[in-house]
Amino acid sequence: MQTICNTIRTKIVVAVGIGMLFLSCEGHLEDLYDNPNAVTNIDDSALFTKAVRSLFQGTADNGSSHFAGMHAHYYVAGSTWRAPDQYGDGHDQDYNSILNDGYSGSIRHIEEVLELTSTSSTPNNVRNALAHIIAVLGYAKVTDAFGDVPYTEGGKGKSQDILLPKYDTQESIYKDMIIRLTNSIAILKTADPAMAYPNSDPIYNNDLGKWVRFANSVRLRLAMRLRYADNDLSQSTVAQCLSDPLMESPEHDAFMIETEGTGNAWYTRRTGFPSIKMSTFLIDQLQSTNDPRLSVFVSQDANGEYSGIVNGLTDQAFGNSNFANLSDMGLALSSPESKLYVMTAAETWLLRAEAALAYDNDPAQANILYRKGIEISLKQWEVDDTEIIGFMASPTATLSGVNDEEQIGIQMWLALTPNYFEGWSHIRRTGYPVIPLRTSENLSAGATNGIMPSRFNYSSFELGSNSSNVQEAISRQGANKIDTPVWWDKN
Amino acid sequence: MNKLILILAVFGTIITAEAQKTISGRVLEKDTNTPLIGVSVLVKGTKKGTTTDFDGNYSLANIGDNDILEFSYIGYSTKEIAVTNQTTINVYMDINAEQIDEVVVTALNIQRDKESLGYSISQVSSEEVNVARENNIVNSLSGKVSGLQITQSNTGVDGSSRVLLRGITTINGNNRPLVVVDGIPISNSSGGASGSGGIDRGDALSDINPDDVESISVLKGAGAAAAYGSLGMNGVILVTTKSGIKKDGVGISFNSSFSFIDIALTPDLQNEYGAGAFGDFAPINANGRPVLDYPFSWSWGPKMEGQTYTNWLGRQDTYSPNPIKDPYQEFYQTGFALSNTLAFEGAGDKGSFRLAITDEDGQGIVSNNTLSKQTFNLRGSTKLTDGFSVDGKMTYITSKIKNRPQLAEGSGNTSLQLSLMPRDIRLDDVRNNTVNANGEEIKWNLDNTFNNPYWALENAGNVDKKDHFQGFISANWDIDNKFNITAKSSIDYIISDFTSYGATGAQAIENGLGSYRHDDNKSSIWNSDILGTYSTSISDFNIGLSLGANYRNEYSSDKNIWGNDAKVPNFYRIDNYKNSFSSENITKKAIYSYYALGQFSYKGYLYFDATVRNDNSSALPQANNSYWYHSENMSLLFTKLLGINSSILSTGKLRGSFAKVGNDTNPYRTQAVYNIDQTVTLPYTVASISGSLPSFDLRPETSESWEIGADLGFLKNRITLDFTYYRTNTTDQIMAVPISGTTAYSSKVINAGEIENKGIEAQLNLIPFDSENFSWDLGFNFTKGNSKVITLNEGLESISLGSLWTASVEARPGQEFGTIYGNDFLRDNFGRKIIGDDGLAKRGDRIALGNINPDWYGGFTSKIRFKNFTLSSLISAQVGGEYYSYGRGYRLFFGTDARSLVGRESGIIEEGINEHTGFVNDSPTSAMLKQFTDIFSNEIATDLILDATNVKLREVALTFDLPRKMLKNTFIQSAALSAVGRNLLFLYNAAGDIDPEATYSSGPTSTAFEHSSLPSTRSYGMNLKINF
Repeated sequence: MQTICNTIRTKIVVAVGIGMLFLSCEGHLEDLYDNPNAVTNIDDSALFTKAVRSLFQGTADNGSSHFAGMHAHYYVAGSTWRAPDQYGDGHDQDYNSILNDGYSGSIRHIEEVLELTSTSSTPNNVRNALAHIIAVLGYAKVTDAFGDVPYTEGGKGKSQDILLPKYDTQESIYKDMIIRLTNSIAILKTADPAMAYPNSDPIYNNDLGKWVRFANSVRLRLAMRLRYADNDLSQSTVAQCLSDPLMESPEHDAFMIETEGTGNAWYTRRTGFPSIKMSTFLIDQLQSTNDPRLSVFVSQDANGEYSGIVNGLTDQAFGNSNFANLSDMGLALSSPESKLYVMTAAETWLLRAEAALAYDNDPAQANILYRKGIEISLKQWEVDDTEIIGFMASPTATLSGVNDEEQIGIQMWLALTPNYFEGWSHIRRTGYPVIPLRTSENLSAGATNGIMPSRFNYSSFELGSNSSNVQEAISRQGANKIDTPVWWDKN
Repeated sequence: MNKLILILAVFGTIITAEAQKTISGRVLEKDTNTPLIGVSVLVKGTKKGTTTDFDGNYSLANIGDNDILEFSYIGYSTKEIAVTNQTTINVYMDINAEQIDEVVVTALNIQRDKESLGYSISQVSSEEVNVARENNIVNSLSGKVSGLQITQSNTGVDGSSRVLLRGITTINGNNRPLVVVDGIPISNSSGGASGSGGIDRGDALSDINPDDVESISVLKGAGAAAAYGSLGMNGVILVTTKSGIKKDGVGISFNSSFSFIDIALTPDLQNEYGAGAFGDFAPINANGRPVLDYPFSWSWGPKMEGQTYTNWLGRQDTYSPNPIKDPYQEFYQTGFALSNTLAFEGAGDKGSFRLAITDEDGQGIVSNNTLSKQTFNLRGSTKLTDGFSVDGKMTYITSKIKNRPQLAEGSGNTSLQLSLMPRDIRLDDVRNNTVNANGEEIKWNLDNTFNNPYWALENAGNVDKKDHFQGFISANWDIDNKFNITAKSSIDYIISDFTSYGATGAQAIENGLGSYRHDDNKSSIWNSDILGTYSTSISDFNIGLSLGANYRNEYSSDKNIWGNDAKVPNFYRIDNYKNSFSSENITKKAIYSYYALGQFSYKGYLYFDATVRNDNSSALPQANNSYWYHSENMSLLFTKLLGINSSILSTGKLRGSFAKVGNDTNPYRTQAVYNIDQTVTLPYTVASISGSLPSFDLRPETSESWEIGADLGFLKNRITLDFTYYRTNTTDQIMAVPISGTTAYSSKVINAGEIENKGIEAQLNLIPFDSENFSWDLGFNFTKGNSKVITLNEGLESISLGSLWTASVEARPGQEFGTIYGNDFLRDNFGRKIIGDDGLAKRGDRIALGNINPDWYGGFTSKIRFKNFTLSSLISAQVGGEYYSYGRGYRLFFGTDARSLVGRESGIIEEGINEHTGFVNDSPTSAMLKQFTDIFSNEIATDLILDATNVKLREVALTFDLPRKMLKNTFIQSAALSAVGRNLLFLYNAAGDIDPEATYSSGPTSTAFEHSSLPSTRSYGMNLKINF
């Protein structure tokens, strides 16, 4: 009997003990639920700065530095980094990282800003309008790189839980991007700066006037990109752009200086391995025209000369090229504190020159705009005034009336430096400068029969993880190959 | 059941016939006359009893002539002796070898009779882990236990090991069994590098000191482990360490091991062609050195025939084969491992204690890779009253490992560099030319994924220090002979301090700027248990009921600082770096649980166990954070039930087990957060969102498993056979599913998918000879298991579980888990390669090329004892399974591999058909172009998939027990000297010159990839055990 009582008493003690444990534990679990390493609420300005910064960092990303810069014949990288210059397509992992980088940087964060500024308890249409501009730049780059990409459903893994986004045609993407920019410009023209990002705008320090010029210039770039694909829309959009303020001088340029770690990414490319050497194609162009930007874009080699590397050499020819001793990238582009550009006034002037020729059939006006573009580009790179005057007097700085489109195209290619990705898109669209077909035995014809690649492939990971949507895009757009042109590429 | 076999014996003579008297006596081991301490002496049918003291003496008052005394002691046959008219009863107890095997340590450290268990369990004794000693104790289990698969990574001293028990059940989980040391669940995460480099910082299992181990129980399957909750989902390895026992002499024991470690296997390299490309030397640069970029820094130059040429340093030299063919033998050295353990122990009727100190030192085959580790272990228990006892343990392990080697694609991977170095280069030149006048590294290749191996040895390194505390306090209260309460609180606490550095001047290290890193980590697992047990017997039924509660708290805190751009060379403090960064991270998780256990047995032949458990985890959303599971185990001794007692079938048991186990996940996967970026670029707040999307409605994942098996003993148990079939289905798996990058995210945590894991295990033991002077034990174990992916998330075709270069190991619905995918050659419908006009094959589709899972694996053990000599050996075998060797790929296209000699002069005509004509290809291509195009440009993996089948002589130990006669007049009680060897050689290795275990990490799918691993090693040495 005693034993049983003991047992019962002990059981009660245990039961009460366990009960107390339960109550204290339940509270304890709640305390541990929240992640102590991050916050659950934040002002969207912190995400806006992240998105903007990613956009600038993206101008030196894998797609730009490892592919576009070499496709557009600005330079050649050494060692195994050179493979894309041989027009090969065995770059599945790179294609995947380029697609991922395109979405995970500026798009991921700007989509969150769009969500927070439109649906949260405190909607803000000014911030929303600014975010749309950044979003357009983010999506424009991925569609220019791949062609059809997810757009209406893209980048919405968090905001709308879309894990298998549908692909949109490049045509529909471009049309919508132009509408978004138009809306943003309309809002920003009359907006109160206090409603924008007074303390977190890394580009214009909350100067909405400059933002309008920026957005409108981006709209002009997109409009001109449609020139051969949808001429009507291109022309009407250009007209609209000309009725709003555009970027006119370097103070309107959209640039950023990255100082983290070793600073500007091109600094690492110049000083690190595999190193980059500037192309014969670029040096010949600058040298033959006495272009003062030669010393800006290209460094002298050890002999005090400008010596370039030929693009597309076979392995054997490359081995004999004395690569290690050729000219590096210019210090103005590749010092730790060098600027990274997303859009410049020089590009804007040259777009206007092309538009004047194409849509107004006004060579005189085109020449004025063309010269302005060159002058502003020289100013952007802080070329001496005397040198500017000298170069502006040279035949290069005046449209000849014979090959005006090519002249504008070449100057645009130079002015886009170091935004090499845009340089590649520009050549794909206009065909200028003319990239020679690779027929020599010394040159690799790659997977494209010696023609400059037109796009990046959808990666096998994307083909596996978003299969039916990407297959639909391929059936619409053409084979998943690097020589399949994107929609706006008609040349 | 041997335990119940009663051997009655009567000693002494009748003296008187008093009614009540005092009985005293001594209990000794039969044959040796060693006094046995702590033997339970009980008056049968009463609670009256005592235990023997240090000298084996006991005394009991008020005993009647009709009483029966019961003497019981684990490991010995129980004796019952009728008192009759004796007053002195001396007892000689028989060692019951069979019984030792049968008492096993099970979940919650409950000692059970093996016969009563409904699930499969294997027990390994201390000799099996501390004679042929391994730094990481799990390596000693390799090949010894069916269902247990151990892969020892090739990552330098103190590397981690891949441990799988009955294969893989979860996609994202680490699939490692729970390791419990004396009831303390310890951290058990895998380690290692990635394909792009890094080091292996080892796993916590290497902190289990083999010399302190008493026994290891391997509890397979969830049925065995439900008592540990979800942690035991992949089975449990229970390690019981030595607690003090009374020994002969003064109770001091000494165990010393020394072994050499040397290179066992290296890749076959050619020694006929040196640096250059297309059969020519490299062009000479303006600086007088050859072009050191690819492809000229490869070994596709002219044949080495004593020509004069400009060598890699720009000096005129003779171009001739290397006099030392194997650069590995020249670069690496013979390492060693030394360990000494001194233990003091004793026990009395009030308690026991053991104090042990172990010192371990070692050096790997890389000369600067050293280990120094000390273990202090204190274990003690005492009886405060007859019914109340406390037990405790404190272990402190301090270790310092220097220069864990860089692996895989890491620039400091010395093996990668040695294997790719052009064959004309002399290692002496490399050693003597590491730095130029400007302080820059001198290399034979510009590529920044390479260092000069000697430069790396001197200028890049790391120090990994760890202080590890383990301890518990437990109390046991026998309220009466039916009701018992135990409470236990244990902690596993690790402080680690890791620094790594790279000097300035090497392109591979921050473009010459130099780097420094310092990581501080603290982690703890705190477990508290309370368990009440009530046991009773009602007629033929024995019933045990337990109620328990557990609280588990995990905490981890990391602080990291790193910097680059050194201000002053060769000075490694964060202040010395122009750019410095830091981060900190804290994770906490708690689980509290309640459980009930029931044990029922009927007449000693039918046993039934059941477990119910409820877990509540902070890692799951509050609405779903509570989950239940249960297990049922049954065991039937049919020979006893049917009264079979034949000499042919001696024992027979059928068992079955079912378990349903829930599982939670890592903390903080159910909440959307913003991280604050550390940046100096912008004067604004910058925040970012992680690429992994959380899930707000995560549910626990569920694993249902069952097993059936039989244990049969023939010819008086000279032949025993255990056989088990198991199947586990894990559903609602919690995993971070990789998602299309176009979502702007890389993965999302969801519940999805099902994996089915099933297999058979068998263990056969034979004792062909068993006599006083000669005995021979043979053991075979066999496991055939298979994990299949039944479903993944809808719309998801594949989850990549890891990748190297362009090969990946994947989970795809309908396929075996761990299928290796890679690019194949382009082929026609008949499987023939399609060859271009240039004679080169083309890239085809990405297909399944292999699978990491063996068809079966097993081990063969033999133990021969002749007088005082014992020879034990272990051979392990794996049949089937594949892996991808990027190391071989590298060596092939760099032209250093012996296989790259094929077609050097004549060219290679690929087997296949011409893409245009359809005729058999007859256009030759150069060997260099073929290797480079296939492997590098076209990323074709087919030829780099190797067969992992191998048979390895894993362990040989010859032990000589010094005869007692020799020790008679010394203070030494016993001594044994062993010569041991581990991983001695491959009896068969399908891949030839690569070790299939040479992985660079130890995760579940780590065996899929090999990349220029350190040479495999073997060890051989001596072990000495002395008891004073």
